[in-house]
Amino acid sequence: MAVVQPDYGTAPRGNTDAARHRQKIREAIRQNLPDIISEESIITRNAKQIVRVPVRGVKSYHFIHSRGGEAGGGFGSGESKQGTVIGRRPKPAAGRPGKPGGEPGIDYLETEIEIEELLEMMLEDLGLPNLQKKQVQQNTTTEGWTFDSIEKAGIRPRLDKKRSVREAIKRVESFVALLMRETGRSEEECRRAIDISEGDLVKARQLLDAGEAGTAQGAVSGSRRPPSLESSDLRFRTIEEKVKEESNAVVLAMMDVSGSMDTMKKYFARSFYFWMLSFLRTIYERVEIRFIAHTTEAKLVDEHEFFHKGESGGTQCYSAYDLAAELIDVEYPTSSWNVYPFHFSDGEDWDADRTVQSLRQLLSHEVAAFGYGEIQTEYSSSVLMKAFEENLGLKEGESNGWSYYDGRWKETPLMGVIIRQRQDLYPALRVFLGTG
Amino acid sequence: MEKRDLERLNEADRLIQEIGADLGLDCLPQEFDVVPAQKMLEIMAYRLPVNFSHWSFGRDYEIERTRFEHGYGVPYEVVFNSDPSRAYLMETNPFPIQVLVIAHVYGHNDFMKNSLHFQKSRRDMITSASEAASRFRQYEHDFGADAVERMIDAGMAIQWNIDPDADKKRESEEEARERLYGWHKSPPAGGKFDDLLPPAPPIATEQKRELRKKTPPEPTVDLLGYVTEHSPRPLVEWEKDALSTIRAQSEYFMPYRRTKIMNEGWATYWHQRIMRRLFEEKFLSSEEHGFYNLYNARVKAHNPRSINPYLLGSTMFESIEDRWNRGRHGQKFSEIEDADVRRSWDTASMKGREKIFQVRRTHMDWFFVDEFLDKDIVDELDLFVYAEQERDAYYESIVEVVDWRRVKEYLVGNLMNWGIPRIEVVDGNYRGSSQLYLRHVFEGMPLEDEYCRKTLEHIYTLWDRPVFLETREPYLDQFRKKLYMADEDGVHVHEE
Repeated sequence: MAVVQPDYGTAPRGNTDAARHRQKIREAIRQNLPDIISEESIITRNAKQIVRVPVRGVKSYHFIHSRGGEAGGGFGSGESKQGTVIGRRPKPAAGRPGKPGGEPGIDYLETEIEIEELLEMMLEDLGLPNLQKKQVQQNTTTEGWTFDSIEKAGIRPRLDKKRSVREAIKRVESFVALLMRETGRSEEECRRAIDISEGDLVKARQLLDAGEAGTAQGAVSGSRRPPSLESSDLRFRTIEEKVKEESNAVVLAMMDVSGSMDTMKKYFARSFYFWMLSFLRTIYERVEIRFIAHTTEAKLVDEHEFFHKGESGGTQCYSAYDLAAELIDVEYPTSSWNVYPFHFSDGEDWDADRTVQSLRQLLSHEVAAFGYGEIQTEYSSSVLMKAFEENLGLKEGESNGWSYYDGRWKETPLMGVIIRQRQDLYPALRVFLGTG
Repeated sequence: MEKRDLERLNEADRLIQEIGADLGLDCLPQEFDVVPAQKMLEIMAYRLPVNFSHWSFGRDYEIERTRFEHGYGVPYEVVFNSDPSRAYLMETNPFPIQVLVIAHVYGHNDFMKNSLHFQKSRRDMITSASEAASRFRQYEHDFGADAVERMIDAGMAIQWNIDPDADKKRESEEEARERLYGWHKSPPAGGKFDDLLPPAPPIATEQKRELRKKTPPEPTVDLLGYVTEHSPRPLVEWEKDALSTIRAQSEYFMPYRRTKIMNEGWATYWHQRIMRRLFEEKFLSSEEHGFYNLYNARVKAHNPRSINPYLLGSTMFESIEDRWNRGRHGQKFSEIEDADVRRSWDTASMKGREKIFQVRRTHMDWFFVDEFLDKDIVDELDLFVYAEQERDAYYESIVEVVDWRRVKEYLVGNLMNWGIPRIEVVDGNYRGSSQLYLRHVFEGMPLEDEYCRKTLEHIYTLWDRPVFLETREPYLDQFRKKLYMADEDGVHVHEE
């Protein structure tokens, strides 16, 4: 026979090599974390846990002809005429540090990865964030009520009927047994006597002794009445508040929204807050974020407004710090919350002295850490970082060739970073999470 | 698979052989293995039934599996040029599809047995790859999986930089020098036209010494082979074996690459005729034949984003057959100017079959398309060239060229050298210090920069001395020379 069905009993090899390929992708992602975490597609995801990220370096490289730019082309067939649009594909995200002259788009390898997995990689790469070492403020929350023990006394609404009846039955049965033993009468007679005497043992005994328990009233034999409840039968439930030890954190996200903060700068801040929250969520059971937008005045806004609306006007950062301090007093007492105030601005401040003063005031609330990110362009005037450096003792440090500022105000870690381009986000996160 | 089904497949196989022979197909003995889907996907990804391990095969396996699980195109057919020819049938395919695949495979079988381009390829590749797989496993054990992967990565990067037309028996450098400079003691074995060649000019002793050191004696496109043999690193035995294995497989697959349109077209042309006969002879029920028809339409479906070789190839063979049946070719026909005469021209010469059998023997895609793609076919198939244009956040693919002459021109250009840039080894002892100098034979299209750099890194891994690549890049409205250099610091554009 030319057509046969041989037995291919060997273990599948494809899976092993596919796993190696996936491992290579992971390695490539790890190497490109600074680029990948600042991908806009991740930050703008809509509750999807899986994101597509570009991967370099896991392609099969050969000498190939350039098609000039990212746009491709080719041959096709089927009904069409000049100008017919036969399909489209999304452009790779703008701002991606590609190479000029681009590679052909179809060869661009994108892979899907869960945010969780990315976070894990970042955690591994960053080392254990300092946050985890810090004593986490525990807090108790009520998760409702729970029935706890059974008591003989209590209030009517918490009467446990089933248990009480069970107690009554137990009592009746023990009486019956006692009567039978003491009088030598039948179980039926004894039970009837208890029934007639309505559970009164002494009275039942008298009835039995008088020989009255077998009389006409006993006609109801068989239809055993439920035993009447006595006060000693009653059982009551007690309830307890169910509490849980919990750790809470709140990020007080502050940002200058004046005209000088353009879309790109806000995007940096947004990207930063996204990852900051994601990290805090791996540590704390409950993480909240509140948005404080400020120009010369500060106000609480929602997320959308925070990142998308700009206002004209000047910049007085102290207004935000004052509002943050107020918020801590009213809603997030540091006795039960780990409070992380973070502030992004482009460094401009009309009243830096007062801002320093307000910051001291804010820090005196014993916040968990304070972070300041200055997004600089060649035109920005870095007033604020200088003021912090001078007045709060922030010192410039270096990590992996990237400089940052840190210091301490009493026990509170202070961290400052300067962000100039997308790739700075990752080291900035490293500073905020890994030092202090 | 049930025994009964297997028997019926064997019956189909027997019938198809008969019909094929009757129609003029000339085949090697053919074997079919019925395999589970998973095995089929592996064969497709690994390119051979058992092959060495590499992540790129794993990646392709995952792609094939995803496509399979999502129902994109059922894995169709895998057939190997071996003796006897070996093909695989996927267990889960419905019966009419199995029969279709069998018929199709006999088309490939005839093609590979008779096409001149397959004659040099080794017919023991299945066994050879399987043996290589065991050797590579041993290497991984002895030298570490990372080292083996590095070697395969590097070899694969230049796997297509081989000389597909080189004779199996390789000439040594000394032999090449003799051929080039005529240093033979005795005159060459007399060819018929030797007396027409001018006598080799005398070469000065000094110059001879130079030429004797020159390696390679003349530029070669067999980059992979040259590096394997001459790397100053030097490569150890197992590394050479890994590279030679990759090279042997590339040589084996080169004819497939060069005849994709023809080979698939030929097989499709024949499976359609064989299936028709099976239906006429009542081997297939009309229901089964209907199922086949549906499937066949999918095989030949238009693809707006690429050219379907099954469709283009079979249409071209039909067109050639028709033209030669009616004498619609040659100078006489081309000189007819009267449109009516032209339209009704029919010499009833009936040379169609003969012609297509001859073409399948001699041609490969590049020349096949160049010679036989005409206006009628381009119009019938609505072939076009599209280009991507930016629109907002997208690239839109827009049909750009429909004029048949230009479509053909582009297509032929694309098939030229099978789309592989020609890279020549010019000097293996560049600057007298074992550096490697490569030259891109510029044919109008520059090299893709990122791919070029990464590939050079791989070559440097193998060569371990500076590697140069001369190419051209667009500059203003022209092209200017560009020289890449790969060394221990990476790849940079070399400033002279």
